[in-house]
Amino acid sequence: MLRADPVARTGWRWGGALAAMLVFQSLVLTAIFWGFANDNHRRAIEHGLADDCTFFALTPAEERPEELRERLSRDIHREQFLALFDSRGRLIAGNVARLPAASGAGRSFVAAVAPTELPGRTSDVARLSVCAMPDGTRLLTGVDLDDAEEALRLVWRSLLLALVPGLLLALGVGLMLGRRAAREVDAVRRLTARIVAGDLRERLPVGRRGDSVSLLWAQVNAMLDRLQLLVADVRGIGDDIAHQLRTPLTRLRAGLERGLREAGDQRAFEAVIERALAEIDSLLGVVAALLRLRELEDHECRSRFGPVDLAHLLEDACDLHRPMAEDQGITLVCLVHASTQVRGDPSLLMEAVANLIDNAIKFGPARGRVSVELERRETVAIVTVRDDGPGIAVGERALVTQRAYRGAGATRGNGLGLALVKGIADLHGFTLHFAEEDSGVQLICPV
Amino acid sequence: MTRILLLEDDAGTATEILLELAAAGYDGVHRTSLAHARAALSEAAVDAMIVDRQLPDGDGLDLIAALRAEGRRTPALVLSALGSLDDRVRGLRAGGDDYLPKPFALVELVARLEALLRRPEEGRATRLIVGPLDLDLLGGTATRAGRPLGLLPRELKLLAYLARRQGRIVTRSMLLQDVWGYTFEPNSNVVDVHMGRLRRKVDGEGEAALIRNVRGQGYVFDAPG
Repeated sequence: MLRADPVARTGWRWGGALAAMLVFQSLVLTAIFWGFANDNHRRAIEHGLADDCTFFALTPAEERPEELRERLSRDIHREQFLALFDSRGRLIAGNVARLPAASGAGRSFVAAVAPTELPGRTSDVARLSVCAMPDGTRLLTGVDLDDAEEALRLVWRSLLLALVPGLLLALGVGLMLGRRAAREVDAVRRLTARIVAGDLRERLPVGRRGDSVSLLWAQVNAMLDRLQLLVADVRGIGDDIAHQLRTPLTRLRAGLERGLREAGDQRAFEAVIERALAEIDSLLGVVAALLRLRELEDHECRSRFGPVDLAHLLEDACDLHRPMAEDQGITLVCLVHASTQVRGDPSLLMEAVANLIDNAIKFGPARGRVSVELERRETVAIVTVRDDGPGIAVGERALVTQRAYRGAGATRGNGLGLALVKGIADLHGFTLHFAEEDSGVQLICPV
Repeated sequence: MTRILLLEDDAGTATEILLELAAAGYDGVHRTSLAHARAALSEAAVDAMIVDRQLPDGDGLDLIAALRAEGRRTPALVLSALGSLDDRVRGLRAGGDDYLPKPFALVELVARLEALLRRPEEGRATRLIVGPLDLDLLGGTATRAGRPLGLLPRELKLLAYLARRQGRIVTRSMLLQDVWGYTFEPNSNVVDVHMGRLRRKVDGEGEAALIRNVRGQGYVFDAPG
């Protein structure tokens, strides 16, 4: 059914509207043309009739019949009516049998006359004028309107003839335009249907015409890009959580299973339980870290930021990590001079710096040196944590700040450390920067 | 017996906490809503409260705030699964004395509760004598039975913190929070390394161990005798 198909329906609607407009326009045009033409024609006739009256009034009475006959003989098209009646209405000379009932009161009028010289016709419509002659006789003068009627019919016929191709054209163009508009709208409808069904990869075709529809489609596509990114991000978080939890959960389950099967005495059971507790603690750690990452994205807690002395904080961080570094044969050097105030949360900043130092100790070369440095440039303070190693591979730098990415050499850790550092830096409006040539990781803090 | 009001609407969590409180020798009074908790508080005094945030009839912080407005200083430990950085601050501002985000280890809960119940007057005493230990906090020296321990300032602070809480478990995050002044969960065993060094200095060859590691929980300072 045409009606059921929205594309066809739109097409017919457009076509119908165009056709109706065309018909209306043609009718108006014809009416105006007909009105003007008719008016012109009437005035020309009236002019001629008035001339006849004047002419015959000036003609001597005795010459009038002769003149009249003379006139009629010259009218080879037989469109003229001329007749002279005496004061009692009897025909003196002319080609009309009797005076019409209406007289027009001096003006021209349309009426039927009884022609005497048209074979086979007893009545004919004409525009007439009756004028009184000085001697009391009356002159009927008129012009046959057959011509005008013929012209009207001609106008009607040409109008109808012209309307047929016009209407077809209007319907055709309307259908085409309607279909095109409907197709474009339909593309969006189908696309949104697919998106609702869950497929976010679909995109609208953007033509090179650069019209407003193309611009709109491009906008819709950009919106979908953004949406796809967000959804991927949300899915990524879910995947992260599942991925992060799966391994320790598997270990936990396997350990408990084995313990149940093999542990014979209380000591063995205690050992199993302690291992299980350690696994659960690491699970809780992962959950807490993921939650904290989420929290760090919520920038509301900036409101409680206060002044933090970076120099003091870095000294505390070095103090906290020095024994651990020494145990692993690593020299931890703290190069901090003047105090530098920034706005922030001391515990969060400490967590970030602790993570960086931790990474440097873990992934730097054994028996090496880890330095923590605070530099002051004009508008920024730069915290640099550096070890003797090559640092994070250039290709991995963008990845390490994502959740759950473990560097090639990393075997420990939950893969959330640098993501947390990045989150904390972002929250503070600091920049996390990896040095080009060495292992330096920098926090660039506007002062 | 020390009475602890537990305001927690999750039955499973409450059971575990009550068992742990009983094991630690406390009399736990369990209520599941703000209204019931208010009634319990007006009936009999409690020594401390453990208060959850999200309760069927409101926020546990409101109860604490109301108590503080009445001038009652009953120590309160706030529990929360809300997990927002702001919550800790809000919890402490409302009059909570400590704040523990869920999920937490029960040992952490009890350790913090004990810390609340016996808040030592820190900073006032300049000399601390516990068992064989003699800590001169002002001079920055420490001896064990006359033997100088050669502690670094931070180590002295750690030892004093532990000695003031003898017999009670002190967790790593408590140490990090109270000795270093930062609240975060370290990725690494930084605190344990510090404690290891301290223990080696304090407990010499042939001496009884004063500091004991409770596996998976924290540390306990045991004064002999």
